[in-house]
Amino acid sequence: MPAAGRKILSKLAVVAYVVLLYGFIFLPVLVLVIFSFQDGKLPVPPWRGFTFDWYDALFANRRLMDSLANSAVVALASAAASTALGFLAAYGLARHRLPGGPLIQWLLVLPLFVSYLVIGMGLLLLLRELEISKSLVTVAIGHLVINMPLAFAVIYGQMGDHQAYAERAARDLGARDLVVLWRITIPMLWPAMFAAFALTFTFSWDEFIIAFLLSVFDVTLPVELWSLLRRGLNPQANAAGSLVFTVSIAVLVVALLVFRLNRKKEMQDRVR
Amino acid sequence: MTEPHVTLSDISKSYSGVPAVRNVSFTIGRGEFVVLLGPSGSGKTTLLSILGGFVEPTSGRVTIGDVDVTRTPPARRPTSTVFQDYALFPHMNVAGNISFGLEMRGLARRERNARVFEVLAMVGLSGFEQRRVNQLSGGQRQRVALARAIAVRPEVLLLDEPLGALDLNLRRQMQDELVGLQRRLGTTFVHVTHDQDEGMSIADKVVVLNNGRIEDCGSPDRVYLNPATLFTATFMGESNIVMGRVTDASGGSVKLTTPLGDITTGGAASKGRDVHVSIRPEHLLLEADEDTESLGCAVLTDSVFQGAHHRCRARTTGRENVELLIYVPVERAVAVGDEVNVHARRHRIVLLTD
Repeated sequence: MPAAGRKILSKLAVVAYVVLLYGFIFLPVLVLVIFSFQDGKLPVPPWRGFTFDWYDALFANRRLMDSLANSAVVALASAAASTALGFLAAYGLARHRLPGGPLIQWLLVLPLFVSYLVIGMGLLLLLRELEISKSLVTVAIGHLVINMPLAFAVIYGQMGDHQAYAERAARDLGARDLVVLWRITIPMLWPAMFAAFALTFTFSWDEFIIAFLLSVFDVTLPVELWSLLRRGLNPQANAAGSLVFTVSIAVLVVALLVFRLNRKKEMQDRVR
Repeated sequence: MTEPHVTLSDISKSYSGVPAVRNVSFTIGRGEFVVLLGPSGSGKTTLLSILGGFVEPTSGRVTIGDVDVTRTPPARRPTSTVFQDYALFPHMNVAGNISFGLEMRGLARRERNARVFEVLAMVGLSGFEQRRVNQLSGGQRQRVALARAIAVRPEVLLLDEPLGALDLNLRRQMQDELVGLQRRLGTTFVHVTHDQDEGMSIADKVVVLNNGRIEDCGSPDRVYLNPATLFTATFMGESNIVMGRVTDASGGSVKLTTPLGDITTGGAASKGRDVHVSIRPEHLLLEADEDTESLGCAVLTDSVFQGAHHRCRARTTGRENVELLIYVPVERAVAVGDEVNVHARRHRIVLLTD
């Protein structure tokens, strides 16, 4: 076989591989989204036509809309708390030499490696022991447990010497510790904090297991979606799923853009 | 000397048992330009950090004015620092950087703006108020760091190798500007560097540090011409060092036997002691006059024209062969292989007894 032909063939193989890979990952989601527009009662082929009816039904569904609001509140609260606590932990560990610092760091990220089911069960037992009833607050606490390590890792990874030097300069110029934190550290770290917030938001937003275990009457969207699915396939569930997916992607895209922009700025800083 | 301004008394600092500074004491006069000079690891930056309050000494005392500031945090010291890495605030513009310290001191916006204008003019960056830090060159950042530090009108300005990252021409220019600025402000400057040329050209007083100890402390010309220790003689510029033994000492004059022959020099040392003698290359001459001491014959083994002089190496042809470094005036023609008579300027022969 001529060399040119072989080259084309190998290129084709690469393209086919990539297409298959991404197809495998995204095709289910794509199918889900497509059949949320199905003009019929079943979200499966054959395709019967295009309609927004299921979205109309979705937005008219009080229970679904309530759970959507619940999800947003839980995600915002747990993401904000995770980011704040993660930042404080990262700042403390990066700026001070603590006895057992490395151990503390390990313990902080450890929940990342524990299954959500185990964390949820543990919290469930703890809540019973403490006689705290299940609610959106307990869901948010559960999400805080799984998200704080993530926020910590993201922010800690972005803490470098140049912030430490700037903080030292600020102190030298007369700033007290809290002023340094507020005027220097946080503004310099805000892209990382924003990324941590966005990431933990999406994790909380579509988390199911912990939300399912730790809630009763007020539930989050994934839990509501699950109970919807239990009654059988239904394009309205597809519409709800598409909504969950779209919000997650939108938040991640914004976070990525912000990070990119900042990275570019930093690169320029370094080049000059 | 002028009235004492900063006093370090018996300062020591160890990092987990490893000493970085050992029993250092010296005084800085008000309005003096002091350079802490030493190789890396000599403890000069640690000393500056102790002055700035970033490092607490293991023992000893620091006073500025009449106030003991040994345990005072940086924010409450009458010092400000130009950091080696500049440490500008990347999220603020030039005016924001300079204003920061003024804001911390509670100055009103109007006053702050006036001060920003004033210090930017001083460092030659008028009109740069709104520039972002990442739009500045290295030299400009350096000037902004300087402006930010002097804007708060410190009693003592600390400079931590501020010129290290600049190219040679810019460094020379900034050295001159620093000296001019210091004269104008009358502020006490403490400048850290490992570059002995820089140290000599800007300092009123040089403190030579090695291994956490003071080797020498004095005016640049005294330290250069009459170094107190062997380390100082070799660290500050080039020098010829030979061993010698004291054969006679009386009335401020010392006789030595050395591989270069018998030498008489000023100073004090007990008979029979082993000492070193230091002679600068520019104090070795090829012609005798009334103030020289003959060191015998030598053969030139190398000669490099350096503009101000020929930098020559020579090997003595006496009992022992000694390598000498000689700066020969450019008027004198020299060639490798020349046999020359070497003479040393008598009162520039330095006796080192450490």
